[in-house]
Amino acid sequence: MCTMQGSDRPNRVLVTGLGVISPLGSDASTNLGSLREGQDSVSPVGSFDVTKTRCQTAGQIPDDWLENGLPSDRVSERLHRGARMAALALREACAQAQGAHPELMVVGTTGGGMSFGELFYRRLLATKSRKGFAQLVGNYTPQKPIQDALELNRLRIPTRILTNACSSGSNAIGHGFELVRHGLRTCVVCGGYEPLCELVFVGFDSLQAATAEKIRPFDKNRTGLVLGEGAAFLILESEKSAAQRGAVALAEIVGYGVSTDTYHLTQPHPSGIGPRLAMERALESGDLEADTIDYVNAHGTATVFNDATEGAAISELCGRVPVSSTKSMMGHALGAAGAIEAAFCVLALRDQFLPPNINFVEPDPAWKFEVVANHSRPARVTHVLSNSIGFGGTNATLVLKRV
Amino acid sequence: MKFFIQGIGAVTPLGPTSLETWAALCRGQQAPRILLSNPVADRSYFSCPVPGKFVADAARQPRLRRSGVISLLGAAAGFNALADAGLKPDAALSAGTAIVFAICSGGVNYTRRFYHEIVKQGANAASPILFPETVYNAAASHLASLLGVNGQSYTLVGDSSVGLGAIHFATELLTIQPQLDHCLVVGTEEADWLLADAFASWRMTTNQDQFEVYGRVGGTIFGEGAAAVLIGRTGPLAISSSSAGLPFRSFRESESAAREIFGGLCAQELPEIIVSSANGTFADEVERKVFCEFYPSVPVYALKPATGEPLGASALLQVAVAGLALRHQQLPGTLAAGSKLPSLNRTTRCLSASRALVTAVGFNHQVNALNLYLTQSPY
Repeated sequence: MCTMQGSDRPNRVLVTGLGVISPLGSDASTNLGSLREGQDSVSPVGSFDVTKTRCQTAGQIPDDWLENGLPSDRVSERLHRGARMAALALREACAQAQGAHPELMVVGTTGGGMSFGELFYRRLLATKSRKGFAQLVGNYTPQKPIQDALELNRLRIPTRILTNACSSGSNAIGHGFELVRHGLRTCVVCGGYEPLCELVFVGFDSLQAATAEKIRPFDKNRTGLVLGEGAAFLILESEKSAAQRGAVALAEIVGYGVSTDTYHLTQPHPSGIGPRLAMERALESGDLEADTIDYVNAHGTATVFNDATEGAAISELCGRVPVSSTKSMMGHALGAAGAIEAAFCVLALRDQFLPPNINFVEPDPAWKFEVVANHSRPARVTHVLSNSIGFGGTNATLVLKRV
Repeated sequence: MKFFIQGIGAVTPLGPTSLETWAALCRGQQAPRILLSNPVADRSYFSCPVPGKFVADAARQPRLRRSGVISLLGAAAGFNALADAGLKPDAALSAGTAIVFAICSGGVNYTRRFYHEIVKQGANAASPILFPETVYNAAASHLASLLGVNGQSYTLVGDSSVGLGAIHFATELLTIQPQLDHCLVVGTEEADWLLADAFASWRMTTNQDQFEVYGRVGGTIFGEGAAAVLIGRTGPLAISSSSAGLPFRSFRESESAAREIFGGLCAQELPEIIVSSANGTFADEVERKVFCEFYPSVPVYALKPATGEPLGASALLQVAVAGLALRHQQLPGTLAAGSKLPSLNRTTRCLSASRALVTAVGFNHQVNALNLYLTQSPY
C-alpha cells in the first residue's frame, strides 16, 4: 500500500542466505574455492560466432552446471538459460536461509532472455514458418526467466526488475536493503542474473571496449573487458526477523549510495565524480568514514576509461586501501555483476580473505591504492565497499560489514 | 506517509501533451492507424505512432540528437509533467528529484537495426552508434542529463503493468528518503513492426485496423507514446494506495491475482470510476470478471481502442487519464466497446467523483492496480 509507514529507527539488515552461480563455480562453495585460488575462468566463446569480433573470449557457465539439479521435464527444457541460472542461485539462497519468507524479489539484469530474441530474429529472416516463435517471444522478456525461477522454487511473490545497465545488481540489493532497513519489508530476496548473448557481446566489441587479450583491471597496460555471465541472490532480513527464527547471519549490509553521471551515455566523467559520489553517499548512509574500509571490490572492467575514473575516485577517497576486480577471473556479468560481487564480498567477510585481481602485471602510478595482485590473501576485513558503474551514468556502491 | 500526483504529462498519437490527449479522448477521437510491414515475411500490422512533430522540441536537444524515439517520447512526457505542475527545471528541482522509468520493449528500432547488421553483414560491421541506445536505461539517462539530476535514476522493466510498479517504487523512494521532494515517473514505448510481428506469433496482436474491448478477443494494436507523473508530498490528487503487484502463471491464477490486488486495494474505499487496461486480449476477460464481482456499477473506461496499446507507457497513461478525469470531472467514452461489460462507459459524460481505480493485467503475467483520491473539489 502506498500509505507507507517506515519504522522510526532503522533496522539492521542481515544477509541470511546467499546463492551464486558464475563461471567460477556452480554454488557459493565452489565460487569461494575459485576466488581463493585466483582461477581464470575466461575461455573461448562457444555459443555464437565470434570469428569477426576482436574479442573472442568470455567467462561462461558450462551447460552441464545448468542442467544438473533442475527437473528434466518438458517445461524445464524450454527454459531460458537465464532462468536456469536464476533458479539455481535462488534455490541455494533460499536453502541457506531456510525458514525465511521473502515478501518481494528485486532483480537486476540488462539483457534478460535476449538470446531468445536473437534466435527469433534469425529465424524470422530465414523462414516464413512461425513454428516455435511463440515460445521465443513469450520467454525473451527480462521478467520471464525470473518468473520461471520463482516457479521452480515454489515462490509466489511480487517481482521488480531493475535495468540500470551494469549497476543493476547493486541497485537491486541496495533497494532491497533500504526497504528492510526502513521497515517497509521484513525480508527481501534480491540480486541479479545475466546470461551471455551475442547482441551485447558484439555491442561491447563495436565500442572497442572489449579486448582480444586477457582482462587486466587496473593494470597500467590494460586493454579492455571481457564479458561474463551468472546469477546471484541474497536473502536480506531484518535483525529482528532473523533473530526470531534463529537464522545465522553471513554478513550485514550497512550502506548504499547511488549517483547519476550525466556526462555521456557511455563514458564516465573523467574526474571520477560519478563513482566518487556513489561511494561518499554509501559511506554516509552507513555512517562510516572512508578510512574504516578494509577492501574495495571495484567495478574494474579494465577499460581505459572505467578504471581511470573509478581508480581516481577510490584513490582520492580511500587512499591505500586494498582493491581488486573479481571480473579479472570471470569477466563482466553486466546486470548480475553487482550481485555476484556483493556475494563475493559476503564470502570475503565471512572467511576473512581478499579475492585477487589476476592477470595483473604493472601498477598504474596514477593511483595510491594497493591492487590485490594475482593471489588471494588472508586479511582482517570488517567493512568492504562494492562498486558498480553502468552505461547511462549509473553508479552504485554497497557497504557490507562482518557480523 | 501519503504521496500526491502534482503533474501529469503525456505525448500520444492523439496529442503532444497530456491536456491535448485528454481533449481528444473526450471528443471520442481515435488515433490514426498506420500500416507497419514486416519486409521479410510480407506481413503487415496496424500501429498508432506518434507524429514526429509532437516530439520536435525534444529532438532539438543536442543530447538527444542520435537517440531513439523512445527517449524523445520519454523526455517530452517528462517535461510536460513538470510544466503541468508549474515547475521549471533548475538546480533545486534537480537536487530534490529522482527519476523512475517504466520500460517494456526498450529501444526496439535501434536494437533490431543493430542485430540486423550483425546477422546480415557480420559482427565487425555493427554500428557503435546504435548499440548504446539499445540499453534499457538509455531513455532515463537522457532525461536525467537534460534535467541535471545527479542522484537517483532507475529503470524498471516489465509488461504493460510496469508503470504501476514504477509508481509504487517511486513512493518507496520518497518514503525512504525524506530529503527527496519529487519523483518523476515516466513510461515510454516506441512502435516497430518487429514488436507487432513478434506478438502476433503469440496471438496478442491483430492485423485488423480495429480491436474491440470486453467483446471478441482478437488481439490488440500497438501504440506509441509516453506518459509521466510527477509525484510529490503535497497536492490535491493523492495516491491513496498502490501495490507491488502480483505474478500469475495461468488464466485461472490471473483471476485470483486480480481479485487479490483489485479487491484488496479497494476494500475500504470503493472507486467511483475505473480506468482499465483492456486491450482486446485475454486480459479483458480477467478484468471483466473481477469488475463484475466487486464493482458491478462502477463506470469503466478503456482508453486503448483510442490510443493503441503502448505497453511500457500503458499503465502510466491510464494513471494520467484517471487523474485528468478526476481533475476535469469528466469520463471519456470507450471506443470499440464490446458487449460483455455492462458498466463500460460508452459516451463522454460529466462526473461527480473523487476516487479512481487504475487496473493493469499485463501480457507477461503481472497484475497490479492503484487508487487515486481527489482530496479537494476541482471547483
